Amino acid sequence: MEIEPELLATETIVPVYFALEDDELLSIHEQTHSASVSQGTSSAAEVLLHTATANGFQMVTSGAQSKAISDWSITSLEGKLTGLGGEDLPTIVIVAHYDSFGVAPWLSYGADSNGSGVAALLELARLFSKLYTYKRTHAGYNIMFFVSGGGKFNYQGTKRWLEDNLDHTDSSLLQDNVAFVLCLDTLGGNDDGLYLHVSKPPKEATPQHAFLKELETVTSSRFPEVKFSMVHKKINLAEDMLAWEHERFGIRRLPAFTVSRLESHRNSLRTTIMDMRSQVDIQKLCRNTKIIAEALARVIYNLTEKGAPEDLQIFTEQMQLQEDQLSSVLDWLTAQPRAAQLVDKDSILISTLEYYMNRYLKDVKRHYVKADKRDPEFLFYDQLKQTMNAYRVKPAIFDLLLALCIAAYLGLTYLIAQNFGLFYNLVRRITLKQKQH
Amino acid sequence: MTLLQLGNCVALAYSPLLIAYRRSSLSEYNAFWRCVQAGATYLFVQLCKMLFLATFFPTWDASVGVYDFVGEFMKSTVDLADLVGLHLVMSRNAGKGDYKIMVAAMGWATAELVMSRCIPLWVGARGIEFDWKYIQISFDSNISLIHYIAMAALVWMFSRYDLPKHYRLPVAALLGLSVYKAFLMESAINIFAVGSWTALLVKALVTGGVSLSTLLLYISLVHGTLLYISLVHGN
Repeated sequence: MEIEPELLATETIVPVYFALEDDELLSIHEQTHSASVSQGTSSAAEVLLHTATANGFQMVTSGAQSKAISDWSITSLEGKLTGLGGEDLPTIVIVAHYDSFGVAPWLSYGADSNGSGVAALLELARLFSKLYTYKRTHAGYNIMFFVSGGGKFNYQGTKRWLEDNLDHTDSSLLQDNVAFVLCLDTLGGNDDGLYLHVSKPPKEATPQHAFLKELETVTSSRFPEVKFSMVHKKINLAEDMLAWEHERFGIRRLPAFTVSRLESHRNSLRTTIMDMRSQVDIQKLCRNTKIIAEALARVIYNLTEKGAPEDLQIFTEQMQLQEDQLSSVLDWLTAQPRAAQLVDKDSILISTLEYYMNRYLKDVKRHYVKADKRDPEFLFYDQLKQTMNAYRVKPAIFDLLLALCIAAYLGLTYLIAQNFGLFYNLVRRITLKQKQH
Repeated sequence: MTLLQLGNCVALAYSPLLIAYRRSSLSEYNAFWRCVQAGATYLFVQLCKMLFLATFFPTWDASVGVYDFVGEFMKSTVDLADLVGLHLVMSRNAGKGDYKIMVAAMGWATAELVMSRCIPLWVGARGIEFDWKYIQISFDSNISLIHYIAMAALVWMFSRYDLPKHYRLPVAALLGLSVYKAFLMESAINIFAVGSWTALLVKALVTGGVSLSTLLLYISLVHGTLLYISLVHGN
């Protein structure tokens, strides 16, 4: 994982291919290695013979030159749960980006970053939609869920969605009363840290502050092994890439934060191909999702003010968080690579996500982002996956050697044929001698 | 150097034929067209064999890995048609015994070489990858040449009316061996799991053994009979 950022930053003239290691690749490597190493240690005759008969490999790929793809659409999905009671309800937005990033797009499965975020978002959608079906538990908050694309490319999906909703439409839930925006990013690894990343510390008596307090309450009373803290990082517009997804909302003056198990946005875990399904600990993911769900519920139903005990368990029994559901959603998400260059608007991933969200949320809509023509924010290339064939070849000298041997053999057969008569007479004399006796 | 490899294999396969043709002085007898006719007979016989096999031997789903001895044995029995074909060729050519044998064998072997070895060599040996099996195919065709010469000689001997009684058995045995040679080779490979070069060596040895015995029988038949005739009628 240390080489990967360096590789990403290096410019090469030749394409670099990545493949999963298996026995055949290892044997090719061994053979080429031994062929090149032995030249320094043996005698001249051996070296000569070796160069003449060594096994070389020629690798041939079948694809064409890589070209830029024009008109690539990044898709995002939104859905919502409407709160109970009239207009002007406060809105909570829950966001997670679904794409993954790595040095080789077809090998980047992004299990933890950000498959865990999407799985957590979908589980939250399921739980809160269940709560909202009953009038008694139907709260007075709108909850919007946004699964964004292009997240690893500086949150393109979120950026355009915000522009469309705030600048180009007349009425949108985002324009009115937004309580806070909660972004989910990397929640499923094997550690016990949980951090709330903010761009400015929440002021007292705001919903953000209430949420922060509830998170602290829930973790300290029920999950003492979790080390929870707030991380304050100002938005730095001079840098190339924004740190966390909440900064996009912060730029548009919407109160936002990101929950993550990582302390720093620079952690290379967020952009590596080594982020595979086996690295995710489902129990920890389940626990983190539960913490978030409980804290959200306490804010929405105003439980602390109403005097509910600190260790009240809201999501139990029928409302239990389903670990199997989380596990299978994550399995499905990591079954295919989800790099932004690979998920176009017709992809099965998007349609399945849309279908899934439609089960629990209302007004599920797609949102497309295309790069600007004159000053594109992103540019994708194709030919990212190739089939490479390795042929075992012998050097040219070997063929000449073989030709010499064959010429010698043919000369021998010619001689035999010429003198076949002698052989014939010899056999005749032997058999007839035997007959006469 | 892929064309060079193709050239190597072709030279290895075809040159013995040329050498045999030149050496046996068939060119003196203008035997070229006779050889071509023998080749045409080969094609016809192969076609009949294929039709017969396709009609009467259904492809049953034998389990992979288990060598179907009985099935392959039956299929090899159909190769008896080869003998009939050789006999046909030889009976149509008037001339001395060894002339007939050589014409039939040369035509037969050339046709077999062109039909069954040309395409694998052209397609395979021209590729980038080097594999020893193409050299082995060419060697195999050399061995087949010797094999067909021996087979033609045996058929000729078998069909002579003045063949002494005690010759019939060895000739018949050798004929049977040569027909079922392919079957026996395949069985041996499956039972003993030998490598490809070893199999080639064994094949060469078997063919060598068969041809040597054929040569012995032929010489004793041709020259022994003549000697007998001259002894009886001559001095």
